[in-house]
Amino acid sequence: MANVYGYTGKILRVDLTTGQISIDDTLKYKDFIGGEGMAMKIMWDEVAPGTKAYDAANKIVFGTGPLCGTGVPCSGRTNITSLYPGSPFNGVTSSHMGGYFATELKYAGWDMIVIEGKAASPVWLRIEDEKVTIEDARWMWGKGIFDTQAMIASFMGKEAQAAAIGQAGENMVNLSVIRTGASHSAGGHGGVMGSKNLKAVGVRGSGSVKIAADPKEWAELDKFLMSIIGANNQQVVPTTPQPWAEFSDKTSRWTARKGLFWGAATPPVETGECDPKDPQTVGLRTQKAVFDLGAGAEKYTVRMGGCSHCPIRCHSQLNIPQLEKYGLDPYVANTCVGYSGPRGVMAYGIKEFDGHGADSSIVGNAIGTSLADDYGVWCNYAQIGRDVKYCYDKGVFKRVLSAEEYASIPWDKLVKGDATFLIDFYDRVAFKKGEFSHIADGSAWIAERWNLGDEYWDDKAGKLWTRGGYPVHHSNEAGAQVGALISCFSNRDSQNHSHMNFIGSKLPINIQKKIAGEIFGSPDALDAPSDYKPMNIYKARFAAWSLNRSILHNSLTLCNWMWPMSVSHIKENGYRGDTGLEAKFYSLATGFKMTEKQLDEAAARCFTLFRAITVRQMGNSDLRKNHDQTTKWITKADKDKDGKEIKQFTPGTIQMTEDDMAIARTMLYKEYGWDEKTGAPSRASLLKYGLGDVAEDLAKRGLLPA
Amino acid sequence: MSDSKEKRVGLFEQEQSRRDFLKLSGKSAAGAFVALFLGSATTVFAKDGKEYRVWATPTGAIVHDPNRCVGCKRCEVACTVKNDGKASAYLSRIKVSRNQNFGVKGPSSAYAKADGQLGNFRIVAEVCRQCEKPACGNACPVGAIYTDAKTNARVVDANKCVGCGACARACAWHIPTVDVEAGVSTKCTTCGGDPACAKSCPTGAIRYLPFAEAEKFLWETDAVSGATA
Repeated sequence: MANVYGYTGKILRVDLTTGQISIDDTLKYKDFIGGEGMAMKIMWDEVAPGTKAYDAANKIVFGTGPLCGTGVPCSGRTNITSLYPGSPFNGVTSSHMGGYFATELKYAGWDMIVIEGKAASPVWLRIEDEKVTIEDARWMWGKGIFDTQAMIASFMGKEAQAAAIGQAGENMVNLSVIRTGASHSAGGHGGVMGSKNLKAVGVRGSGSVKIAADPKEWAELDKFLMSIIGANNQQVVPTTPQPWAEFSDKTSRWTARKGLFWGAATPPVETGECDPKDPQTVGLRTQKAVFDLGAGAEKYTVRMGGCSHCPIRCHSQLNIPQLEKYGLDPYVANTCVGYSGPRGVMAYGIKEFDGHGADSSIVGNAIGTSLADDYGVWCNYAQIGRDVKYCYDKGVFKRVLSAEEYASIPWDKLVKGDATFLIDFYDRVAFKKGEFSHIADGSAWIAERWNLGDEYWDDKAGKLWTRGGYPVHHSNEAGAQVGALISCFSNRDSQNHSHMNFIGSKLPINIQKKIAGEIFGSPDALDAPSDYKPMNIYKARFAAWSLNRSILHNSLTLCNWMWPMSVSHIKENGYRGDTGLEAKFYSLATGFKMTEKQLDEAAARCFTLFRAITVRQMGNSDLRKNHDQTTKWITKADKDKDGKEIKQFTPGTIQMTEDDMAIARTMLYKEYGWDEKTGAPSRASLLKYGLGDVAEDLAKRGLLPA
Repeated sequence: MSDSKEKRVGLFEQEQSRRDFLKLSGKSAAGAFVALFLGSATTVFAKDGKEYRVWATPTGAIVHDPNRCVGCKRCEVACTVKNDGKASAYLSRIKVSRNQNFGVKGPSSAYAKADGQLGNFRIVAEVCRQCEKPACGNACPVGAIYTDAKTNARVVDANKCVGCGACARACAWHIPTVDVEAGVSTKCTTCGGDPACAKSCPTGAIRYLPFAEAEKFLWETDAVSGATA
């Protein structure tokens, strides 16, 4: 093979039905960048419409991209693409995990793994550089994810990284994860591995990723990036006033300050002032334990963890000795919804229990996180807790469970906030015990199974975004129509932070609007929080850019929880970041010169292909009507304390309107050149993106708009 | 364990351990022909006719603090991109990846409380100690390991190296690593006294210290860097 840079040049293909292992050429998919983009091409080409997530004919693609393994900051993520069993039409989705698996895969010489078929009995996949074998997993089957990883390292050596499922995945629980390392989960595809009798993938690599550029040029760009990078979610303002900072915002994730420690380190490590000019404190900026779990978590914090080659450590790693009382290891780690998802199952909060006093919430939360991470249960971006609450409050459980089963569930613990309820909960869910366990089928399926009706979908407290069965994820509360639109175009929660890493930066709104104007053509691309204006073209550009950057990052692979770098902490530069960095790194790493615009167009190609797969899988081209509609609570006016309606687009409300959202959809469709009536990719747009074969296929099926 | 606290006598104005000094003075220096090459290990032909290699003391060594390390492994790529023009964990001269999940000892039935990301979260990197009497250099059958002219770090001459791996096997910590793609061994050069790994660390967990100071961390009972001797 000629010299290949950035990429390894090889895709590993494994057919679990036949046991055949083969090698494919990465670069033939180069137009789709890598990771998610290439996976969409493979899913389009090779998985027939009508295939269900748990069918042997479904494929699951573990993908990295050309920047993964090169050391670009925040480039350690693995993209996993497959049909998603929680989707009412088994739509294609991507789940993502951080950790160290992706870089190890690259160093073993593989850009991606495409797995198809179904093994006759439980197996695991063993990858040691070019040597790939399918191994017997009979003794791993039934184990939790932690033990599974230890077993794989026992076979392969301590250097090995593994991606595994727990009992939930084995039992094909729709809401289950694939997980790696201490705390890195990809939500929604655990059951797909289970359906294939695939317990885990272990990988160990002694190779490298070659970089086309001169090392000095590469180091200079890395240095520049490190000079503008912020804290978690590219938040560039500290929580407390600092000598170097013009602003502070107590809601920021840049939590470091004098007197705040990793309290359980030996000796404790002070996060400190973290002057941005000191690159050797970048990893101390985000003390995430206190952000996620409250001030009481400081004393339990051993360190902050995260992913390969990322200086921003967003996973808190805790030592909570109280967990041993429940037979759990005292060490627990996670971040954001990895904590709040399990905590949300305690739908009425966690109160004092078992003598844990003021730390009850932390201990209870850690119980849930430990169990969810070992069994491999996913929370559907915290939706599972809201579904528990709805079904309990509305008497659904009483209606659909047998009296015997209902009586066996410790509801009193749930209601009074005793977090040991979670021990019972996760046991039922992971092992699919009883009717109750269907709570983890996903919202679309329980709505059907338990006949929940419009009231369920349109319940504001439920936060469900579409009838696709997924909830808000930085939606209308995040940039008005920008976030609202982004959430309409997914087959799961949108998993999109392109916009949040900008508007959540904690910079004052006037600065954000100025920068938005420079990127999107007008400051009107961004509304002030809770002071929304009707839709405009600049918001459509912002939304399309956000969608493109998300799939771009999942293709490169970069972390969309940090990238893009739209803003910075540098006052002298007007707090501007650099939205062209992805293209600069791509060009230097691969030697394929791409401008920012060209890379965004490649991302739009990938997103349009994703859209086409959705059309084909639904068997319906009217996505405006059948896919992109929100639930009704989003477009219903709020009421003030006197019961009077607060009119949309007046200060104090973030509610949308049906008419405005219809305009917003049209504007977004236009951005991509899709059919404005249906929102489906048009022939012209498919040709524009070099997807003529897709147009032909859709036309044959009667799914191409006229 | 170490000679570090003993008086050192310079050789070409470089510090040298007492045992090395004795080799020259007490045993055989009187009639020795000393072949000295600036920037290489010193070959000593002693009175008894045997050949000895004498290693000038390094000016410094790298130390890693497991308490501050966050396991990002930016050090590993900084090392290999700078020195090899490619990114690799296996090849890195600072070894984080191999201990990351299960510590130096690797997985055991007690993994949940042992070192590593799957245990107590402690991340122990292993670094080159730039040993006073480097087993790697002494084991090299072709004399490909020499002392860097500027820092006296023990470094590999890629043109001489035959990739046999004797250095990696001789090192108690297996720090030298044969680049499987290039077919030659590599080891820490300290980047001329300005190591890329230390500069790239986002928490200040890696430091390049004067040799005597580094030795305290690397060898003595309060060692915090790498597996203790």
